[in-house]
Amino acid sequence: MLSAAQLWQPFHEFVFMRRALLGGLVLACSTAPLGVFLILRRMSLIGDAVAHGILPGAALGFWFAGLSLPALTFGGLGAGLSMAGLAAWITRRTGLREDASLAAIYPISLASGVLILGIAGKRLDLLHLLFGSALAVDGPTLTGMLWVSGFSMIAMALIYKPLLLDTLDPLFLQTVSRLGPVAHGVFLTLVVLNLVIGFQAIGALMVVGLMMLPAAASRFWSHRLPVLIAIASMLGCLSVWLGLLLSFFYSLPSGPAIVLVAGGFYLLSVVFGPVHGLLRRPILPTSQ
Amino acid sequence: MIRCQALRWGAPGQPLTPPVNFELSTGSLTAVIGANGSGKSSLLKVIAGLQKPLTGKIFLDVSRKGSLSFLPQQQHLDRQFPISLQELVAAGFWGSKQSPDLRNQRLKTALEDWCLSGLAHRPLMALSGGELQRALLARMSLAQAPLLLLDEPHAALDELGQALLWKHIHAWHAKGRTLVVVCHDLAAVRQHIPHTLLIKSSGSVLGPSTELIRQQPLTQVA
Repeated sequence: MLSAAQLWQPFHEFVFMRRALLGGLVLACSTAPLGVFLILRRMSLIGDAVAHGILPGAALGFWFAGLSLPALTFGGLGAGLSMAGLAAWITRRTGLREDASLAAIYPISLASGVLILGIAGKRLDLLHLLFGSALAVDGPTLTGMLWVSGFSMIAMALIYKPLLLDTLDPLFLQTVSRLGPVAHGVFLTLVVLNLVIGFQAIGALMVVGLMMLPAAASRFWSHRLPVLIAIASMLGCLSVWLGLLLSFFYSLPSGPAIVLVAGGFYLLSVVFGPVHGLLRRPILPTSQ
Repeated sequence: MIRCQALRWGAPGQPLTPPVNFELSTGSLTAVIGANGSGKSSLLKVIAGLQKPLTGKIFLDVSRKGSLSFLPQQQHLDRQFPISLQELVAAGFWGSKQSPDLRNQRLKTALEDWCLSGLAHRPLMALSGGELQRALLARMSLAQAPLLLLDEPHAALDELGQALLWKHIHAWHAKGRTLVVVCHDLAAVRQHIPHTLLIKSSGSVLGPSTELIRQQPLTQVA
């Protein structure tokens, strides 16, 4: 077992651990509100879809510019945004549901990403792209993460109210304001932005876990939205910290370690959470 | 004022009526009646600007954003949404420039008016359909829009709630607001609403409620 001193010692001793921790913590804080809103908007799976969609862009970036942060970032951002945009466009033009268009587009993205990587040669490890390595967060990546997280938290604070109403009662918002589509667009952009900056640190698929698991777990603890967001951020931060420690002491891959700790919090919440948890009687009758 | 010229609405290629013309004056209180599927709810959506008319034009004397309140039929609100009744009602203050003190005062009054004071901090999932409907009506009364569109506002309400609803509709009418109410309860329409717009597949008729409803056998419009 870990002793109290060991909880901090690796971060004190190694710069790369401190970087990974700081990057993970800010990412956990900025993805928490995004995850909570994704669940409330019933778009929980869009994170997965976008994470796969990022791949061909990142692969193209790698092909042309090698392993450079800006190339991977802008490639991923372009691919992620155009995938979300294409899905939204198909949905609006055909009237079919958005999840169906996303489910159709993301295998296309994933397959083309893998194909491009294949053509580009095997220098970039697909596993690294999908599952990342938090211990490889270098100075520029960390700076990028700090900027994106800061920006996304400020933007979320600005669109919080219209986004809340657009999620709960879009018809009402439509009659009082034009901000609904703006808030929706900014929100989706932030989701893509966070996934892109996160995929370099803990991997495209793992950052989705960091976004969704604390958010899903928080629903078992409160009925109030700001409290949900606070709890999700806290659980995300705890997962990053404990996950990095586990990965350090037991030589585990860091991304999966972080996500599995978050998964553990989720399962504990399912069982013990006071709001819908299995062990507690609901305080008030739930109706669906 | 709501003026419709050669208006047709419905699904693309399937207009519900021939082109209709009518004008509802500012400060009027009008019921919309008609059989199921005759297009009452869609008409309200078209007036609210939430659905495009197939042909024709609608003129409003107010802007659609902020000056119009729309209460849709059957709320599809997510009952698990982590928000309290009071927060839902307070959304009616959107765009209002009143001071926080005044807002608190008005919020309290609105909750009392709609018999919701005891429920203010309940989460949505712990509300009954009627309580939720009263909360949405309370939100509407906070918004103070000059044009109110209500689609079957009495549907989920019990007798007491319906009495409250009619009391408020009369109060809003007395304050000079324009109201359009879709309503299936013809007896209530006759009793409470001076004018009626009857929508049929052959066109629409606008007239005094007492005349229009006496002329129609109940089975045809209910």
